[in-house]
Amino acid sequence: MAPYRPPSDQSREIGIVESEFASVRISINDDGNGPRLRLEDLRGDKVRYLDALELETLVWLRDEHLSALLDPSADRWRE
Amino acid sequence: MTATVSGKASKYDQLIEPTRVHGSLYTDDEIFREELEKIWYRTWVFVGHESEVPEPNDYVRTAIGPQDLVLSRDREGVLHVLVNRCAHRGNLVCDDQRGNSSSFRCPYHGWTYKNNGDLLGYPFNRGYGGKGNIEGELGLGVLPRVDSYQGFVFASFASEGPSLVEHLGAAARELDRLAGLSPEGKAELTAGWLKHQTGANWKLLVENETDGYHPQFVHGAIFGVTGSPIGALYSDKSTAVTRDLGGGHSENDLRPEFRKFGEPMRWFGTTEERVFEYASRMREAYGDEDAERVMIEGAPHVMIFPNLFIAEIQVFAIQPLSAHECVQRSTAVQLRGAGDINKRLVSQCMGSVGPAGMLLADDTEMYERNQYGVGMRKPEWLDIRRGVDRERVDENGFKIGTATDETGMRGFWGHYKSLMEAE
Repeated sequence: MAPYRPPSDQSREIGIVESEFASVRISINDDGNGPRLRLEDLRGDKVRYLDALELETLVWLRDEHLSALLDPSADRWRE
Repeated sequence: MTATVSGKASKYDQLIEPTRVHGSLYTDDEIFREELEKIWYRTWVFVGHESEVPEPNDYVRTAIGPQDLVLSRDREGVLHVLVNRCAHRGNLVCDDQRGNSSSFRCPYHGWTYKNNGDLLGYPFNRGYGGKGNIEGELGLGVLPRVDSYQGFVFASFASEGPSLVEHLGAAARELDRLAGLSPEGKAELTAGWLKHQTGANWKLLVENETDGYHPQFVHGAIFGVTGSPIGALYSDKSTAVTRDLGGGHSENDLRPEFRKFGEPMRWFGTTEERVFEYASRMREAYGDEDAERVMIEGAPHVMIFPNLFIAEIQVFAIQPLSAHECVQRSTAVQLRGAGDINKRLVSQCMGSVGPAGMLLADDTEMYERNQYGVGMRKPEWLDIRRGVDRERVDENGFKIGTATDETGMRGFWGHYKSLMEAE
């Protein structure tokens, strides 16, 4: 597992969601003009911010849609 | 009313003379509609500051005249100015004054737009023949030109015209001066805006911003209470000048007076010792000689046509709503990396133009009294001749007058006339 790195200055950490396959730190970030969810891939060293509308979209995403996103060639390992 | 040019005199030839302007310019609804088209929807207008949308997907509400706009920064960091109107049925798509979102969703029928204005999608899309049928056709209105200078963001409804740098002309160096007061070379507008609605024509405000004739009278009380030396800057004895910068821009250049005293931070009504952290950072950043010069000369006092006024420690944005009404938004200048002075900038700004601020209340009373007066039938004209016979041209070719002369107003009206006469 990657060593602990604190989230950015204006983030309120919620916790780490982890399994044998992935490890993601979740916090709410207040650097911008409104709060965003900050997701940090602790194994892949990549950060993604999601605003409220994007999060709501995820909540409503159909399971088959989500499954399609989990295809390793969908975005992350395309080439 | 007298036409000054024989033969083919334009409407504005009849209303604007070199040393007087007709009262109807402040009251006529038809002239206001023409101003919107020929000035507010054609030239560059200040809409906000890059520091107001620092992060990807940040947005703030703004306006040009009665147009409700959103200044957004997309995921890639590019700035956009969007018209806050759904392409479907015209509803407002954005309610909050500021926020962070990659997209905007209209509350009426759920149409959703990217923060660059592109239509993302619409519910129950079979009614439009399915997904992808109208996305390219319908989007939010997007202002075709957005540009910034020293972080100050300007936008134009016109796709063609002079560049922002050409529009700013000599006023650009005043924005440079403001930025130069920061140890990191950046002024920011992060203190939040106050809105003041005023029952007056927008041009009365523009004219007042570099009118050095009124402070001793209108602001006499605050100068007296605070013991401020500012009043003396605007007198017959002052070495300060009023400068017509061209393009409708004007300034009160107070530097000659501050150079005379040679005291760092006198322009801010304080001493270097009382803002020690700021002064130290300035000396560290620029070296003793340059830092001292900057701290002696102080901040600009400049009116940038048509709506951006920088009054040393505060910034105003003028938003006309009708011939008889406008909104002044105001905020404190913040200097990046400046340390202790930023809090003082906010508190001084609150004291002068906050809800209980004295300067803005003084001026607003005058604007509204003026507006009341220009609605009367006689005399028909307003006089702007003060100092015309002692006006001279400085070493850079700009017209200058003494601290109390109406040189800036005459410059404003000359430019206004050229824009209003254009087809």
